[in-house]
Amino acid sequence: MRARAPLLGLALALVLAAGAAAQARRVAEQQVQDVAAQLRCVVCQNLSVADSPSEMASQMRAIVRERLEAGEAPAQVVQYFVERYGEWILLSPRRHGFNLLVWAMPAVAVAVGFTLVGLVLVRWTRRGAAAGRVAATPVDTAMRDRIRRELEP
Amino acid sequence: MIPELGSAAAIVALALALWGAVAAATGARTGRPALVLSAQHAALGVFVLVTACFALLTYAFLIFDFSVRYVAINTNLGTPFYYRITGVWGALEGSIILWTWMLALYTLIVILRHRESAHELYPWVLTVMLSVMAFFLLVITVAAPPFARLTPVPADGRGLNPLLEDTGMITHPVALYLGFTGVTVPFAFALAALITGRVGDAWITLTRRWTIIAWYFLSLGLLIGGWWSYHVLGWGGYWAWDPVENAAFMPWLTATAFLHSVMVQERRRMLKLWNLWLVILTFGLTLFGTFLTRSGVIASVHAFTQGSIGVFFLSFLALVLLTALALLAWRWDALSAQGELDSVVSRESAFLLNNVLLIAAAFTVFFGTVFPLLSEAVRGVKVSVGAPFFNQVNVPLFLALIFLMGVGPLIAWRRASPDNLRRSFLWPVAVGVAAAALFSALGIRSTLAVLALALTVFVAATIAVDFSRATRARLRMGERLLPAMGGLLRRHNRRYGGFVVHLGILIVTLGVTGSQAWSVQTETTLRRGEAAELAGYRVRFDGLTATEESNHFKVAGAFTVSNGRVLSVLRPAKKFYPQEQSPIAGVDYRLGFGEDVYLVLGDFARDGSEATVKLQVNRLVSWIWIGGAVLTLGALLAILPDRKKPA
Repeated sequence: MRARAPLLGLALALVLAAGAAAQARRVAEQQVQDVAAQLRCVVCQNLSVADSPSEMASQMRAIVRERLEAGEAPAQVVQYFVERYGEWILLSPRRHGFNLLVWAMPAVAVAVGFTLVGLVLVRWTRRGAAAGRVAATPVDTAMRDRIRRELEP
Repeated sequence: MIPELGSAAAIVALALALWGAVAAATGARTGRPALVLSAQHAALGVFVLVTACFALLTYAFLIFDFSVRYVAINTNLGTPFYYRITGVWGALEGSIILWTWMLALYTLIVILRHRESAHELYPWVLTVMLSVMAFFLLVITVAAPPFARLTPVPADGRGLNPLLEDTGMITHPVALYLGFTGVTVPFAFALAALITGRVGDAWITLTRRWTIIAWYFLSLGLLIGGWWSYHVLGWGGYWAWDPVENAAFMPWLTATAFLHSVMVQERRRMLKLWNLWLVILTFGLTLFGTFLTRSGVIASVHAFTQGSIGVFFLSFLALVLLTALALLAWRWDALSAQGELDSVVSRESAFLLNNVLLIAAAFTVFFGTVFPLLSEAVRGVKVSVGAPFFNQVNVPLFLALIFLMGVGPLIAWRRASPDNLRRSFLWPVAVGVAAAALFSALGIRSTLAVLALALTVFVAATIAVDFSRATRARLRMGERLLPAMGGLLRRHNRRYGGFVVHLGILIVTLGVTGSQAWSVQTETTLRRGEAAELAGYRVRFDGLTATEESNHFKVAGAFTVSNGRVLSVLRPAKKFYPQEQSPIAGVDYRLGFGEDVYLVLGDFARDGSEATVKLQVNRLVSWIWIGGAVLTLGALLAILPDRKKPA
């Protein structure tokens, strides 16, 4: 009785595997590329598995294709590599926890920059308007009169 | 004997540079021109000595002097003559010599151009440049001595990194280093302005062309780097957001911001503090880039050997930034701006936004590049920040910049009247919107691609509007068409040089958009005589050939490419170097205006019966190189001396 449970399990696994194999489908090249582009080639420097010409990358692409053909979702394939190599394998850090910092930083930089520029512009235009008011009324008429006088023969 | 001469030359040069820096400063403070003259002679002496170092190291390469460690590591008896020369700067020690030599050269040109002017800034400029040189000479004598001996003397050397065996090795580093070191000149003028308290516009006027020259070489270096990556590294791309590419890109971004914001200072006497800061930041980033490449803290294709050198660069960077900040604080009163503006809708605003976006992009690149270090320090988890991240966060910034590139040059200073806006932008906006509609109708799915292309059309239209308006004004003066156009380019060479650079950027944008949106690739294993198909091309595998080269063994496949008719036979290869563990890919390609066919050889059967090949059809990539050529031509036009209208 006790020996049967593993056997049953094995049988179940075989059936499931057969089912998966039956479902094995032609996976479009593009899908393989899309997954591979998210992964870092482990022997190269800063190249994705999709781009790298190394043999290691080519083997990793083959694994991606196999797993996709076995019916795994792209996210599952990615997770498989993360479990084996750690988060380091992802070329783009996942958006949670501490990593949010690197994702938020560009927006923060732009927001801070725009705020500062906004403040500067407001100050400048106020000063410009003040200078304009002072300059506009008396000088303008006086100047105009002078010019007129000097233009007259 | 020869290596000892080289080491001695470096030590004497260091002493001379230190003396010169002190002499120029003392001469300036006590008003003794003899000391400044002495500093000039010291700078000349440094140039001669560094040239000697460079020549001696080259000589050691040419005669295979393997008793010199640097030579033994970077060359072997099989290294061809040409690469024994370029190999001199193929690694850390030699590259620092090249760098120092260029700095000495720039210093010499600064002396020749500015010594007669007897400007108050001049002696301090000498001090700063000689100090920077002294730092690099210190690195040469202490941290990375190129002439260090190796015992026992090996019978043969290890050999150059195979990826460096390319003609790009002469142009790419030379251009990039001329850019990096060129930034030292405006930086020296900026510090001199702060030290003397003459923080007005003199230093800006004096360094305007220096900055464009540095920018020109930085751009050229980046572009050639892209081309090198495309045709040597064998991954089918031109930009990988590698930490060291980023290190060169950051000063380019801040230098670009500076080139724009100086116009506000020249025209409106505003942003004095900001411009000083931008130059200091740009110089700091060139040091930071050297630190990244040479310290080995971050893994990268460009990583040089590691060692104590990182500490040197980081300390010097800290020293530079602290000194600069202290000087800025000291001169704060003189720098507090008195800006005024009539309306937020004005060219000043456009320039400010341009600066925000460029600096935000530089900061994004910086933070992304160092984030892996931060993550490891804080969480103890290694993460990667690579191309998908940088593309995603930078593309919106760059698109906004392209939009401003259309607005900035045409909008009026101080206040843009509704009439100015209508005359300048009605047509360009209409054309841009029409282009967006057309591209969507043509079935371009990617929103980003449509946006990028429509913005490109919009900016091109603004340039056309401006150029035709100015040409028509000249025609009314009775000039003929071609002389009118030529005269515009020549007389207003800065403005129209700028437009040509913008045009170049637009063409590059077209290439980048095309290659990102429409390139396709496939990978397949073919038996001899079998063919693969992709995007209308048929690629047939015809067999393998093996050849023995002077320093490596090469296996090349022959692939016939056809699309109905035979186009060419491509021979991608794998090169096996004894000093490398894994083979180096040698790609082959057929370039075209619309698309490139690009082949990378993968695994193969030893008997040549089958081979795996990666086949890429890369779209519009050629326009990146064409745009690059246009951009550098524009920069050259802007560098030409101003020619005032004859009175």
